[in-house]
Amino acid sequence: MNRLTGRNLTIAYGNKIIIENLDIGIPDKKITSIIGPNGCGKSTLLKALCRLLPIKKGKIALDGTDINKSASKEIAKKIAILPQSPEVADGLTVGELVSYGRYPYQKGFGRLVPEDVEVIDWALQVTGITEFKHRIINDLSGGQKQRVWIAMALAQKTDIIFLDEPTTFLDIAHQLEILELIKELNQKQQTTIVMVLHDINQAIRFSDYMITMKDGEVITQGNIPEVLSSQLLAEVFQIDAELMQDKLTGKPMIANYQLVNRKYSKVEIK
Amino acid sequence: MIDSKLKRKQIIVCSVLLVLLFLAVTWSITSGEYKMDLSAYLKTLIGQGEFKDNLILMEFRMPRMLITLLAGMALSMSGAIIQSITKNPLAESGILGINAGGGFAITVFIVIGQVNPNTFIYVLPLISAAGGILTALLIFLFSYNKGKGISPANMVLIGVGLSAALSGGSITMMRKFNEDQAEFIAAWMAGNIWGDEWSFVLAFLPWILIIIPFLFFKSSSLNIINTNDQTAKSLGMNLDKERLILLIISVILSSVAVAVVGSIGFIGLMGPHIAKSFVGPRHQLFMPIALLTGAFLLVIADTIGQTVLSIGTIPAGIVVAIIGAPYFLYLMYKTNSI
Ligand SMILES: Nc1ncnc2c1ncn2[C@@H]1O[C@H](COP(=O)(O)OP(=O)(O)OP(=O)(O)O)[C@@H](O)[C@H]1O
Ligand SMILES: [Mg+2]
Repeated sequence: MNRLTGRNLTIAYGNKIIIENLDIGIPDKKITSIIGPNGCGKSTLLKALCRLLPIKKGKIALDGTDINKSASKEIAKKIAILPQSPEVADGLTVGELVSYGRYPYQKGFGRLVPEDVEVIDWALQVTGITEFKHRIINDLSGGQKQRVWIAMALAQKTDIIFLDEPTTFLDIAHQLEILELIKELNQKQQTTIVMVLHDINQAIRFSDYMITMKDGEVITQGNIPEVLSSQLLAEVFQIDAELMQDKLTGKPMIANYQLVNRKYSKVEIK
Repeated sequence: MIDSKLKRKQIIVCSVLLVLLFLAVTWSITSGEYKMDLSAYLKTLIGQGEFKDNLILMEFRMPRMLITLLAGMALSMSGAIIQSITKNPLAESGILGINAGGGFAITVFIVIGQVNPNTFIYVLPLISAAGGILTALLIFLFSYNKGKGISPANMVLIGVGLSAALSGGSITMMRKFNEDQAEFIAAWMAGNIWGDEWSFVLAFLPWILIIIPFLFFKSSSLNIINTNDQTAKSLGMNLDKERLILLIISVILSSVAVAVVGSIGFIGLMGPHIAKSFVGPRHQLFMPIALLTGAFLLVIADTIGQTVLSIGTIPAGIVVAIIGAPYFLYLMYKTNSI
């Protein structure tokens, strides 16, 4: 079942069309990864799917209703987003930012009710940042900041979470930590996850479903073992890669990869 | 989720400011041409004063003082909101030319309008607000850079330019005036607090009583606008609508103030910045401090202007500019806009 679907989407910045006539369905309660080269439109698609970017044509439906015609606060109770490298006002603390995740549920002066406080504490706890609650966000490291933003998204208590490159700026251990956290959320809370990742092996390991994009088009979408092939990787990324079985997970992994043709380095470096 | 230490700090800062404000008001009222000494002032305040002191306090000094306090609050609060919604720490109604826009509208009104002295004071805020809103929209139109949004420095440059053009326009039109009208406009542009009757308080107070609580009501939205656009939208905020409403409201607030006190800048810059330096960017905490700071600064500036020269007075707007301009340069340096 797909609660969230996009039909016939055309997405543009001004007159510059990035994505044309694209169809997409996000499987419920699964982890979906979007992969593709830089500038192919992954962030653009993600933003459109969560109504941060208006679409030119087509329809995005959540539970059968057009998201661009629904009340924005109602959508915010169903979809949370972790944007690519967000900024925040100086002097704001971790606890405060996470509490903003309750905004869609608030009325009037925006006082936090006991339920809000409970959810905020839970979000801080599962992301392991309870001890940072009173710290200033801009004083934290990249990895800590990333967890704060994830906690804010969690405080929205949504069934669907979008994450645009949640592991950039993180070292390998912190990358795994974030991805494990996402996986746990999916397993324990049945949260539908859609994320953009650049590391193909991580995408394979941590997701059930994969969407590959190139030049604003979806090349394939489907369950992980089935959609992957050496030909796909050659077509999308221009790499020559071998697919092997990951001993740890039993899933495929790419190995021994190199560029099909070294198009960027035709000029010889002396 | 706000740290209770910070809340305590806010209460302390507010209390200290209230005391300072009371002292400033006392200083202001007990100085001036007719010297009312401290004990006479305090007695009059609690209703035990002599007839003459009572008359001077209640009929002349009190209304003017209230107008000064309210205008200081309005200008500071308006600056705070404009800074938050534009994410521009240098924005403020004076610097952006919104005050000049109000002044221009008032000048046009005096030239072409039928000025009825009885209703004049009640119409003035409306005229000023209309001019202010138009100017604000022009600034946004001119400083909007497709693809890049609005850059703080650009906005200030366009504001300063518009401000000069509008003031120039007002001065040109003044040639059509008789001496009284010309004098009024000149004093207005210098920021001379001229409203000194209860009717002015009456014309001004309702705006304050409606707009300021409304802005406090919006403080959690304002906090979220202050994060970043994507976050605000993803939390379900109708960002464009919210921004437009807040912009119009804050422009009305400053325009109404300048309609009764003349063109006074920089209060909207200093008030919020000083307030944020104590309690950070949370609106529900810094806005009360900004209100008190704005009122305090304007009372002090006005009193200095009234007393420092042995002959004549200096308009409050000029005194504020003498303090405010260096502060503006400092902020500009700090935000790396030059
Ligand atoms: N705000 C914008 N205005 C105009 N064009 C944009 C804007 N944002 C992105 N683009 C363009 O849209 C295309 C797709 O960009 P997008 O950010 O979706 O790529 P991406 O797949 O997320 O890339 P990356 O892996 O580098 O994050 C690019 O050609 C980019 O230059
Ligand atoms: Mg991207």
